[in-house]
Amino acid sequence: MSVLPYAVAAWLFGVGLYGIATSRNFIHLVGCLGVCQSATYVLLLGLGYRWGSIAPIFYDHPPGTPAVDPVMQALVLTDIVVGATLTALLLVLTVQAYKRGGSLDPEKLRPMRAGGKSGQRQDAGHTSGRVSEGGRKAS
Amino acid sequence: MSPRIRVALLALSGLILLPCAAQVIAGLPAFGSTIAQYGERINAITPEARHVANMVSAINFDLRGLDTLGEEFMLLAAITGTVVLLRGRRGEGNSERAMRRPGRAVIPRSEATVLACRIAGPLTGLFGLYVVLHATVTPGGGFQGGVILASGTLLIYLGEGYAGWRDAIRSHWLDALEGGGALLFALCGLAPMLVGAAFMQNILPLGTFRDLFSGGLMPVENLGVALAVAGGFTQLFLEFMEETREAEEPDEPGEETA
Amino acid sequence: MTLAPAVLLPLPVAIPLVFCAALLATAHLLPGRAPDVLALLAALAVAVLSAVIAVHAADKPLVYWFGGWEPHDGVHLGIGFSVDAASGWIAAFIGLLYALTFVFAWGFFDRTHGHFHILMLLFLAAMVGFCFTRDMFNLFVWFEVMSVAAFALTAYHLAESSLSGAINFTVVNSLAGFLMLGGIGLIYAQTGTLDFDSIAAAVARGGRDPVVAGAFCLVAAALMIKGAIVPFQFWLADAHAVAPSPVSVIFSGSMVSLGLFGLAKVSAVVFGGSDQVQGALPMLLIGLGSVTALLGGWMALLQRHLKRMLAFSTISHAGIMLTGLGALSIGGTGGMLVYVVGHGLVKGALFMIAGILLATQASIDEIALRGLGRGIWPAGIAMALAALLLCGLPVGALDQGTRLVQGALSAQGHGVALAATAIGAALTGAAVLRAAGRIFLGLGPDPGDEAGAPSEDEREKANRPLWLMLAPCCVLLAVDMALPAGPIAHALPRAVSAFMHRPEGGPLAEGPGWLPWASVAAALAGAGYGLFRNRLPAFVVQPVRATQSVPTRALEILHSGLIGDYAAWLAVGVAVIAAVLALV
Repeated sequence: MSVLPYAVAAWLFGVGLYGIATSRNFIHLVGCLGVCQSATYVLLLGLGYRWGSIAPIFYDHPPGTPAVDPVMQALVLTDIVVGATLTALLLVLTVQAYKRGGSLDPEKLRPMRAGGKSGQRQDAGHTSGRVSEGGRKAS
Repeated sequence: MSPRIRVALLALSGLILLPCAAQVIAGLPAFGSTIAQYGERINAITPEARHVANMVSAINFDLRGLDTLGEEFMLLAAITGTVVLLRGRRGEGNSERAMRRPGRAVIPRSEATVLACRIAGPLTGLFGLYVVLHATVTPGGGFQGGVILASGTLLIYLGEGYAGWRDAIRSHWLDALEGGGALLFALCGLAPMLVGAAFMQNILPLGTFRDLFSGGLMPVENLGVALAVAGGFTQLFLEFMEETREAEEPDEPGEETA
Repeated sequence: MTLAPAVLLPLPVAIPLVFCAALLATAHLLPGRAPDVLALLAALAVAVLSAVIAVHAADKPLVYWFGGWEPHDGVHLGIGFSVDAASGWIAAFIGLLYALTFVFAWGFFDRTHGHFHILMLLFLAAMVGFCFTRDMFNLFVWFEVMSVAAFALTAYHLAESSLSGAINFTVVNSLAGFLMLGGIGLIYAQTGTLDFDSIAAAVARGGRDPVVAGAFCLVAAALMIKGAIVPFQFWLADAHAVAPSPVSVIFSGSMVSLGLFGLAKVSAVVFGGSDQVQGALPMLLIGLGSVTALLGGWMALLQRHLKRMLAFSTISHAGIMLTGLGALSIGGTGGMLVYVVGHGLVKGALFMIAGILLATQASIDEIALRGLGRGIWPAGIAMALAALLLCGLPVGALDQGTRLVQGALSAQGHGVALAATAIGAALTGAAVLRAAGRIFLGLGPDPGDEAGAPSEDEREKANRPLWLMLAPCCVLLAVDMALPAGPIAHALPRAVSAFMHRPEGGPLAEGPGWLPWASVAAALAGAGYGLFRNRLPAFVVQPVRATQSVPTRALEILHSGLIGDYAAWLAVGVAVIAAVLALV
């Protein structure tokens, strides 16, 4: 089964992408992005692994003992930080979007909708509120 | 596009990508058979060259220290961005005091909870410090230790309540901790240049292998990272918690949109 | 010790980082204008240092090894920076763009305790690091720092549209990061190194290898997502349209083109030895570039929200840059590099004008603003000039880049791509000229198809005098027009050969001299059609309207703003790249 880790990585990325494509909830979407990212963890750690090797820390074992690739481990550490930053930022955006739009559904929150007229604004409280409510179903 | 078309597009691209991925996987070295020359070389020379036992720390703080510098500032960017975006509506002025949420009952804590938190808090802090300090020797390092330290502060919230937590933690201090830690790391890079060495060159005495004081410049950089991460993550907790406290006020326009 | 110029190499990255850490640590103590001053100083320092580095790198690329880990016996243990003249000048241009943006945004973000400046300085450091590095993973780190700073800056307004745009931007660009990391993992496993030159050597030794092709596919897809190439372009219009205008200046002026700059470097240097990759590149880049140029231009013409229009125009120009890259010649890549600078200057100026309108007229909608710009006519002149430069007025750096790109394309007989570059530029120029005519002259009472385009009410804080906002904009345009064509043409072949690691060729060919004029004429005609639609005879207007409406509606539906759609298109794009690589 020497191809299993790589196949798992590809599968994870595909599944995560499918989740993002069909997601109807931003929190779920952030989770799916995390799944995509774990594909990179699996791939990198899989590529750096060697049977019968120790972790690259020569404390209990003397230097020279066969160890797995430390570079991949360092790269994954950076990758984890990337994941943490992205999750934090996306959750902030989600929180704020929920407060503004009252929904977590990506289909209900659109960047900008057609047919906007500056005279039509309804809610005076939102200085930069939405212009048009007639969101097209783009299907 | 309807979800059906979306899935069809995905499936179509999957059909094209599947044989390509299979070919790539077949072309890779078999899993677990060998590791790259770069990693092998680092394992071979670094214990002697830098007197450190933890190869991952050696890569993060010495061989590829620039990556970690970038990573550290990536975290700083994310936390600064979080603060800007979460405070945007509350306004900067309110960051000093805890916000109240009228109508929400304050549930008294049981004494067991308070006691457990008061015991576990210092222990968590101690463990965090241990992980930070032993970066060059055993698994761990500034990032991991910093996160542990930051999560230790959450025990204050659990034990002493929100107001107590906010009294103990000041946003400005966290900014100073985060910025100061990052500055320390960046200066560790620049300082060697003053004596004519390369950026982030390890010019301090290397210490003894498997000892707490090993790795020369690495423990200093590590400390900078730990400070920045601890400050940054606590700031993150603080801002997210503040978000749950926000009073239901009429929508105030953000400062830029006003 | 004598101070070799290579010693300067870490400074353009380290200085903004030190400034931003110090700013964060002391933010609440500093007086109000201090972040503005410090950020401006840091950006100027980056510009000057990068220019000095570029001058010293004219003969031979400067190389710097971090931590003193110089390679021994061909094994690279540390991270290196390698700066050729072209990379150095691009970094200097970015520093200048930031400095002018900080002037433009003077006092705009005064109530955020310098947080805006911290993010912008990080963004700047990441861009310079991205230009200078010679290490695959370090490239990824700077790519991600750039992304993270950009995500936060996009959502700054906290309106629903900016949050949604920022989410789309974040998700798509995070996926780009993951793809890139996967590609780096593959190439590392196959070659055992992360240094550009060692990977290149290993790739050249290896012959045809599916792993190398797969790695290139993933890395190229990631950089094309950053560079907003069809079918990855969707996020750009959402994000650039909603970001605060000073941030959009940076996004359109440098971030997008840096993605393509990275692609140029990676495909020429790292994968230069792979025949499979080099064989696939012309078809892939010229094909996708032509489609992007046309689609972006067409979409720009249909917009009424000025920033969204400029965003689509950026997509179109990114496509033109990509065709230049696809020629795989010194001329094409050199043209593309000059184009990056020229386009950044002109597009930065245009986004500043959009910011001026947001601040002084409190709107960004072309139709709502009709005739309202008369009071600020100097901005109108600048906008018209920028529009003419955008569509190819034969003056300045943008025109030089265009002619070099077109020269490289016509030398290789890519007639369709040549036409696409000219038409794409003409369409974006027409869109911006039409908007200028409508806003500043009050022309075009009939809104036409634009009326149906997405728009939104927006405004920005009006706390700055007009001259303060207009001055950096005029400086950008002046720099674009004043960049000396002769010395650039003289230095370019050598700089590009160092950039691409290729032997120097002869002087660079330029495209047919009438082509830019044809673009200008077409742009004027297009703008005229939009503005005087109601006065034109019916037999002209009817067929245009009839043929235009169906594809227009289809294109609008494609740009749905739904992240799910974008994820599906992303998969399609990766599949296209993989298919082209597999067929070669």
